[in-house]
Amino acid sequence: MLSPYRVLDLTNERGLLCGQMLADLGADVIQVEPPGGSRARRIGPFVDDAPHPDRSLHWWAHCRNKRSVTLDLDRDAGRELLHRLILGADFLIESETPGVQEKRGLGYADVAALNPRIVYVSITPFGQTGPKARWADSDLVLMAASGPLLLTGDEDRPPVRVGVPQAYAHASAEAAGAALIAHHERVRSGHGQHVDVSAQQAVALATQSYILASAVGFPDARRASGGVRLGPLSVRFVYPASDGHVSITFLFGPSVGPFTGRLMRWIHEEGGCDEATRDKDYVRLFEQMLSGEESFGETDRLKDVIAAFTRTKSKAELLAAALARDLLIAPVATTREVVESTQLAARGYWQDLAHPELGRSVRYPGPFARLGATPIGYRRRPPTVGEHNGAILGDELGLTAPELQRLAAEGVV
Amino acid sequence: MAASAALADVKVLDLMWAIAGPAATRVLADYGATVVRIESTTRTDICRTVAPFHELPAEPESAVLFQNANAGKHMMTLDLGNTAGREVFLDLVRWADVVCEAYTAGTMRALGIGYEALRAVNPSLVMLSTCLMGQTGPLATYAGFGNLAASMTGFGNLCGWPDRAPAGPFGAYTDYVAPRFSVAALLAALDHRRRTGEGQHIDVAQAEASIHFLGPAMLDYTVNGRVQTPNGNTDPEYAPHGVYAASGEERWLAIAVHDDTGFAALARVMGQAALAEDPRFATADARRAHRHALDERVGAWVATQDAPAAETALQAAGIAAALCASSADLVADPQLAHREHVQMVEHPTYGTTPIEGSRFRLSRTPAAAHASAPTLGRDNQYVLETILGYDEERVTELVVAGALG
Repeated sequence: MLSPYRVLDLTNERGLLCGQMLADLGADVIQVEPPGGSRARRIGPFVDDAPHPDRSLHWWAHCRNKRSVTLDLDRDAGRELLHRLILGADFLIESETPGVQEKRGLGYADVAALNPRIVYVSITPFGQTGPKARWADSDLVLMAASGPLLLTGDEDRPPVRVGVPQAYAHASAEAAGAALIAHHERVRSGHGQHVDVSAQQAVALATQSYILASAVGFPDARRASGGVRLGPLSVRFVYPASDGHVSITFLFGPSVGPFTGRLMRWIHEEGGCDEATRDKDYVRLFEQMLSGEESFGETDRLKDVIAAFTRTKSKAELLAAALARDLLIAPVATTREVVESTQLAARGYWQDLAHPELGRSVRYPGPFARLGATPIGYRRRPPTVGEHNGAILGDELGLTAPELQRLAAEGVV
Repeated sequence: MAASAALADVKVLDLMWAIAGPAATRVLADYGATVVRIESTTRTDICRTVAPFHELPAEPESAVLFQNANAGKHMMTLDLGNTAGREVFLDLVRWADVVCEAYTAGTMRALGIGYEALRAVNPSLVMLSTCLMGQTGPLATYAGFGNLAASMTGFGNLCGWPDRAPAGPFGAYTDYVAPRFSVAALLAALDHRRRTGEGQHIDVAQAEASIHFLGPAMLDYTVNGRVQTPNGNTDPEYAPHGVYAASGEERWLAIAVHDDTGFAALARVMGQAALAEDPRFATADARRAHRHALDERVGAWVATQDAPAAETALQAAGIAAALCASSADLVADPQLAHREHVQMVEHPTYGTTPIEGSRFRLSRTPAAAHASAPTLGRDNQYVLETILGYDEERVTELVVAGALG
């Protein structure tokens, strides 16, 4: 779909997903790595737990459908080769701390002077400018600085993050759309521009607009075990099942209250609660609590009723009931259960790619979208370090084999 | 300004609702697309009932989440079950480049306005359907919010403490992940259409898109057979790596140290430079092996600190550290202010309402400034008369026929 376009992906471990999304959509994405390989290749887990630049699953998860060249961009000879690639590129993506590319002569102004049509995408922790633009960062620190962390976890323990880093996934995925918006404009105007993505801002979306609560004087949400505390109301979503846990959208109000009412009817049918509990007005319960008609403590009793019931059912039984009875219940799935999901299997989601150098085939998460006319193809496994130096620097830029060998010996490629 | 906006030539008919759908079309509106959102007066958007609110009890226009997701759009009411309403809808389909919908799978087809029917009136249409599990498969009609998809795709079980029930991420998590994939897919499809004239139907399952945010954990299972489990804030590489209680109520500081230089700097800021020489903490391997002892030391120091002051001191020493920001912290954050992230915009009931700005900046064609989300049905007349060119008589007929219900 994006096959006419070339992307130079200079991102380090921060920004890899952006290029992969463009590559999945068909773009020719060339990952430009330092000699020896990207820092991202040192991030585990590794195939068979054996650390190696070509066995990093972090790399594999973010570099499918890309090609790889190695270039030392801190040396003139490396930069000159990159300049030649820039002349033929439509996008450049980078994720260095602001100022680093400028020092190398590879900032937006430098690159635009070579190719004014290029869309130059920068993915950084806090954006290109501002008082925190050069702050030190990590996934945990960005989740803290953007709001979601304080809202997540058990109330009697510190806030807790998702174990798989999320901050740069938000920023990088945001960047893919941003790049294509700038591209859309370029088609009309003929001009490129600088796309400046802030991970802090991207992650803030995950506060579900709670970032704005204090601006209207509404109390902050507070983290609570398997749920959330909203003012006086403590809501719990995670409940025990006989073989793990399920998530239940246990809330009230006009939209969700009817689901809660149906759940309580089911519990009553099986003898798990009395009629009075079944017949509560789950649409208006929160208003009744605000007016004092019901006590906020009643939610604690209801949660215990639900937990005592769900504990006797398996995750599969609870999901089946959710479908049959129109309830908001989902199993809290392990990664194995996700990979074995019948829904994903029915849709042919998982994709196998051969890794001949390892003598094995690897099962990857499938297309992020189903495009009817131009389906996402899994064309290439993630590249090994500098796998396409010959094809791109040699065949395309015209470097001879001896020249490539010399550059390799000098550590430029 | 519309002439220079990046997406000024893009027309979107928006039948999204809840979070993931409207959050995607909000991005298009930010960059100048004309977005006409259709809402039913009888089944209004669920986000109108979700906190935070301007006031309690909540009114339909007092939900901040709804304002935030729908600023910059035209808002129209239309009864798709009404014959005359259906005619208006099809005229809008003829007008649009893109139709987006986020109903339960099969709903549009059951109403007689599935992709095939819409393509019959607009052959090059790009249509995007987004729901939790996708348009096909045994769970296609499974309806719910992103908290459920987050549970089903593994986020729930990868967030929490090893000795406790899983905590799960905050809120409807996959609702914040999926919009990015929808925006990218839509724009790529528009580019394809420009070059080939071919439209298409795009099916974005929140679950399938969001799994890409857990890629390494999924591969750890498919390649190594390892089922990752919640591990608190422990990181395989960083140590110390945690969230520590600072002085005051609910003040927490996140600290992440990767290498020896960083740890030496931390030890100096803590006034305990000798810690970096302690054999338990002198190397990254040693720090990981003694992470509990290390957490105790760091935690004891942070407990005596004012979180913002400690954050400043640690960052000045080049250490990745941040206060766990509350809404009040974020609204006052100088970096977010510099990026104009929190914007107070006009609101018909409350004078002003806060919305979030674009999460990225385009240097030459920046995001538009918005007012709040329009009130229910505010733009009916604009859409019918200015966009569709209906005369007054036709508009009156539609009102009489109950098409705008």
